[in-house]
Amino acid sequence: MSPRRIDLAANLAALAAGALLSLMVHLNGELARQGGALFSSWMAHGTGTLAALLVIPLWWKAIQRSDTARASIPLWAYLGGFAGAVTVIMTSTAVNSALALSGTLALGLAGQIVFSLAADRWGLFGIAKRRLRLGDAIALALIVAGSALVIWGSL
Amino acid sequence: MIEAVVLAFVAGGLVGVSRQLNGRLAVSTSALFASFCNHLVGFGLLTVIGLAIGGLLSDAAFSGPWHIYFGGPVGVVFVALSSWIIAQIGATRSTMLIIAGQVLGGVALDWVLTGKPVSLAALCGIILIVAGVLVAQRQRTGTSSAA
Repeated sequence: MSPRRIDLAANLAALAAGALLSLMVHLNGELARQGGALFSSWMAHGTGTLAALLVIPLWWKAIQRSDTARASIPLWAYLGGFAGAVTVIMTSTAVNSALALSGTLALGLAGQIVFSLAADRWGLFGIAKRRLRLGDAIALALIVAGSALVIWGSL
Repeated sequence: MIEAVVLAFVAGGLVGVSRQLNGRLAVSTSALFASFCNHLVGFGLLTVIGLAIGGLLSDAAFSGPWHIYFGGPVGVVFVALSSWIIAQIGATRSTMLIIAGQVLGGVALDWVLTGKPVSLAALCGIILIVAGVLVAQRQRTGTSSAA
């Protein structure tokens, strides 16, 4: 694929991933109402692990091909799940404070954006550095303003 | 209150850290393998926490409708996609487009589930988000070495 095509594919994949995320949050939210936030996240990680094992044929070859690179994978790269699980605990605590759902959501989005700007600026955790372009800053402002309107306009 | 604000903000930052780490692992292995590791490690940690504080399993835990137990597999696809995406278009572009997809998907899901009409403010928000996505789409991504 040409770089332009990869860009387009990745942009569309990001939008689709976001839509999947809202479906996931909805399902896990229903499960949390049933059995609590900790149970919901524990269950989602457990069934997710099983689902990933069921599709081993899809990723086994890629792992074997990456043999030479494996020695150079830093141990911390395996800790994404650690950060994700801690996030669940922190978020479910914040939701039960005066912030409520919308406040927790808005601050969480702000935290994500600030981190991602820093990550691109300094190339954090082994992902390539990227310069923030004017168009990206404009797009970010539009999406943030639009999201704020949707979040508070739906209360 | 200030503790809750810091907690919610840092939790958001950790979402970014998690995506960055999984993206790094995917670069050297595969996106689905990174997603597998993410879920396995998270499951291990949550099991330890659940056993430590107790009360993980309640009587009602397994009596919900079947479909609410499928958030995990959806999450596997989500983490795999975002681990691939971040190495292609960077953290900021990934984050903003995932947020755009999440908010638009959330509005669509709410509409399907509740049938409630979309408010005027939300409609204006949707227009801004779509405009933002179109502006982002016109941008070429470039690593700073190429710029």
